[in-house]
Amino acid sequence: MADNKHYAMVIDTDHCVGCQTCTVSCKISNEVPGTAHWNHMESLDGDVLYQPTGTFPAPKLAFRPMLCNHCEDPSCVKHCPSGAMQKDEETGIVSVDQDRCIGCGYCSWTCPYGAPSMDDENHVMSKCTFCAESRLARGAEPFCVASCPANARIFGDLNDPESEVAKLVQGKHATAYQPEHGTRPSVYYI
Amino acid sequence: MEEKRGHAEPEYFMRDGKLTRRTFIQGVGAITVASAFGFAGVTATGEKAQADEAPAASGEKSVHAVCTVNCTSRCHLHGTVRDGKLIRVEPGNMPGRPGYANACLRSMSYIQRLQDENARVMYPMKRTGERGSGEFERITWDEAMDLIADKLNAVVAKDPKAASFYSFTGDLGKLSWEAPTRYAACLGATTWDIEGIMGDHGASMGMTMVFGTHRGAHDSRDYLNSNLLIVWGRNVADTHTSELRDYVAARKAGAKVVVIDPRQCSTAAMADEWIPINPQTDPALALGMMNWIISHDRHAKDKLVEESVAPYLIREDDGTYLRMADGVVVASKGADAIEAGSIGSAPAAEGDAGAGAGSYVIWDEATNAAIAAPDAAAIKAGAATPALSGTFTVDGVACRTAFDHLCDSCAAYTPERTGEICGIDAAVVERLAEEYIDAQPAGIRMGQGMQRVYHSYSPFRTVATLAMVAGYIGVPGGGASHAGGTATNKPVAGYTGPTYNYTDWSDTGKTANLVPSSLVYQAAVDHDPVPIDFLWIANSNFINMSPDSNRIINEVIPAIDFIVTADPWWTWTAKYSDVVLPATTYWEHWDLIDRSPWAMFNQPSIEPLGESKSDVEIMSLLATKTGVEKYWDKTDEEWIRQFVGTDHPAWDDLDWDRDVVGQGIYGRSDALYDPAIVYADGTGYKTDTGKFEFYTEAMLPYDDEVPTWKPPAEDPREGELAAKYPLVFIQYHDRLNVHTQHILNPALEVVQDEPLLQMNPVDAEARGLSHDDVVHVYNDRGDMKIRLFLTEGIIPGTVATQSGWTPDYFIDGCYQNLTHLTICDAEEDYSMTNSAFYDVLVEVEKA
Repeated sequence: MADNKHYAMVIDTDHCVGCQTCTVSCKISNEVPGTAHWNHMESLDGDVLYQPTGTFPAPKLAFRPMLCNHCEDPSCVKHCPSGAMQKDEETGIVSVDQDRCIGCGYCSWTCPYGAPSMDDENHVMSKCTFCAESRLARGAEPFCVASCPANARIFGDLNDPESEVAKLVQGKHATAYQPEHGTRPSVYYI
Repeated sequence: MEEKRGHAEPEYFMRDGKLTRRTFIQGVGAITVASAFGFAGVTATGEKAQADEAPAASGEKSVHAVCTVNCTSRCHLHGTVRDGKLIRVEPGNMPGRPGYANACLRSMSYIQRLQDENARVMYPMKRTGERGSGEFERITWDEAMDLIADKLNAVVAKDPKAASFYSFTGDLGKLSWEAPTRYAACLGATTWDIEGIMGDHGASMGMTMVFGTHRGAHDSRDYLNSNLLIVWGRNVADTHTSELRDYVAARKAGAKVVVIDPRQCSTAAMADEWIPINPQTDPALALGMMNWIISHDRHAKDKLVEESVAPYLIREDDGTYLRMADGVVVASKGADAIEAGSIGSAPAAEGDAGAGAGSYVIWDEATNAAIAAPDAAAIKAGAATPALSGTFTVDGVACRTAFDHLCDSCAAYTPERTGEICGIDAAVVERLAEEYIDAQPAGIRMGQGMQRVYHSYSPFRTVATLAMVAGYIGVPGGGASHAGGTATNKPVAGYTGPTYNYTDWSDTGKTANLVPSSLVYQAAVDHDPVPIDFLWIANSNFINMSPDSNRIINEVIPAIDFIVTADPWWTWTAKYSDVVLPATTYWEHWDLIDRSPWAMFNQPSIEPLGESKSDVEIMSLLATKTGVEKYWDKTDEEWIRQFVGTDHPAWDDLDWDRDVVGQGIYGRSDALYDPAIVYADGTGYKTDTGKFEFYTEAMLPYDDEVPTWKPPAEDPREGELAAKYPLVFIQYHDRLNVHTQHILNPALEVVQDEPLLQMNPVDAEARGLSHDDVVHVYNDRGDMKIRLFLTEGIIPGTVATQSGWTPDYFIDGCYQNLTHLTICDAEEDYSMTNSAFYDVLVEVEKA
């Protein structure tokens, strides 16, 4: 267990500019098929993306980039009837085995964050992998992290107390979104 | 500063893959650390390095390009090719400045569009229907060239100047950008000086007035030294993406970031404060801040007398600078006439540094006498004590200092009046002025957004003068910067760019007739100053990106007998052309961008789509039929090899296969990679006085010799037009588009899939409009139907839409129907009119 990693991400909403380089870089770099998206962008605390909250002359413009939270207690895994949705104990990464997936969509319905995204070309579920094979295995950060022009995403191992993500989470600088769902996300927001 | 920020010795990733350490300039706190494995790549200041390029997987090939669209980044791109197709674009390594590696969402998704046969012009096409109908038939390259050459040869035989070659900024690669104008030079034909009609020239004029050169910027890493950073009319987050990381690092290091913009632009999302301002009023705010600073006796008196024209004596009789020769007052020769048609892209138009420096006069308080103005170093050394203010009589000529003229101009701009003009609380004007002068230092980054106005030289000129009054020009963490600042962005004293071998490329036999682009409409219609009987358009969606598209379509285009467009895309302009030629994109041809300290290269990474050809290939073909083939005797690759094949030491380490083919970028081993400060110690000015020159003789006929604010051409404050069309309509460059070149890359649809009109709810309520309504936006020139996007993030009285959308995506009409080209005499006299794209009044109603 000591060697196990708990990959996590901290997203700095103070500096996110809503450009969606994350959304687009993920879609293209991971060759995400059809209309599926593994990243998407929401307003931080409003209803309409790109509408600030508050009133002129001092409204607040802020964003919440969304991706799979790679939860510690993922409801998608819990509710997957085929066992396709899995959590990797060695990395904490939640992934879908597309060979076993029956495309029923339960995971997407039960995920409080709507993260799994249907691959409508192959009729199986698809989702964020933290770029495990395409980038982590080659020593590179997930592409949404590397491509962010505001350096608003920090990626690392929560099990390593010296990592920046661990320090930010332990110092209470970063918190999970909607923790009341009880899935214990591994994506945190500043 | 040192104590607060700390400083570090940066490691630089050099071209050979080895890390080398370079001596760091004390007090210039840029820190970037190359990290081979990204997870730990965070420095004490919070600037994170890019991970290095990941190696290609099996069956895939790594390729490189430099993005040549006209934002200001010029990013080095790392692509992946599989089965002959580009599948992925990521940031490419930046030798010497790893934190600058960048690829934006536009460049990543661009590969979808450029490999889409339906979006591209695939073959030479000849028009068969009415212009604009979109009806064309495929012809061969031979047929196309014969047809074009027949028309061209006939026009040239009559008058070469009646043949025009209009190449703008669609591809800034050396070969692509210059091939059409180089070809024009071979014939002695006409070309068009780019900046005016596209609306970028106000910045160049304003910069040239005060600094003597068009550009000049602090390296964005220098903002780690700033306590306050004002991002003024510049949406860096969307329009110079590669520098945003430095702004973020500066803010994390403690700098307050303030954005001044009519809109709460993307950059405002990472700023501490957004100050909404009425469009077209930025000079008024700068004058108000100067007035507050001067009236509180906080201005940088020493710097002003040493490094600016502040103490220079101005004649009371005619407003010119007092000049002396051999100790005796001589008649002013007036401003040097600027060589017609030579500003814009031509460096010749930039002032000669201190050309007449010896003839200007200051009043020396040490000797109580008028003396020739010493240079900055001499004054700093105590050679004279120039009077900053005062009235003096020299040889019977009454004079006052230039600074007193500036004070007169500022005096009317009380916080209350400034606030009223700008739409800002007077208390905010005062607070901003106080925070700015308290910051010590504060940097200002200026953007094109504030200069697409009438009297467009005024914003950059006035804001830069504010920075000088505050003492921030030439100091770390300060400046009033324009455009991107790489380490060696001009001008850096004592540094020249690498020498390329352009000898053959520059040899054209004849020269082109360069005409200000502000005159292109009247040239077509009135044949003044040249007729246009043949028009070649390249690297430009002319109709979409020029003002008043109805005027172009109804008056300009019909007046031109024959129009050829070479473009990768079926643009609005292509549809109005008689022959359309398929051009390649930057992933399909050889090219070079000199972005000193780097040379970046394009090369065919994929097969050109259809029968598309590079601009050089196209011009070389045409050359064989027009008698100038001897100037077009090389392939694209041969040209590039010749450009970099020189004995200059910059190229000593160049290995073609490794650097050009393998990496697509060459970082000079002798180059400066450290952040540079422009105008340090008052040196480097290219003005005639050799000083920061806020007093401009050339503007005397327009009562604009010192910075002023003038109301817009279409003034929302008063008059009949304002009653009819009360809203100011502006455009902005956003995350989706650089001009029209990324419309609509499929992967961008999720971000936004149609143009939207931003409006404050206050204005919507007054018109009974709701969010998502389809609205009709109109004035006397044209109209559009568009969906309404209500936002508190825009100043009331102003509406805005994203620039670059083509008519296909509007419910009806197009934003460019609403704009106008109005010649500004002051600008035309100085060099050329800048299109006032954001000086437009409209009304909006429910459609």
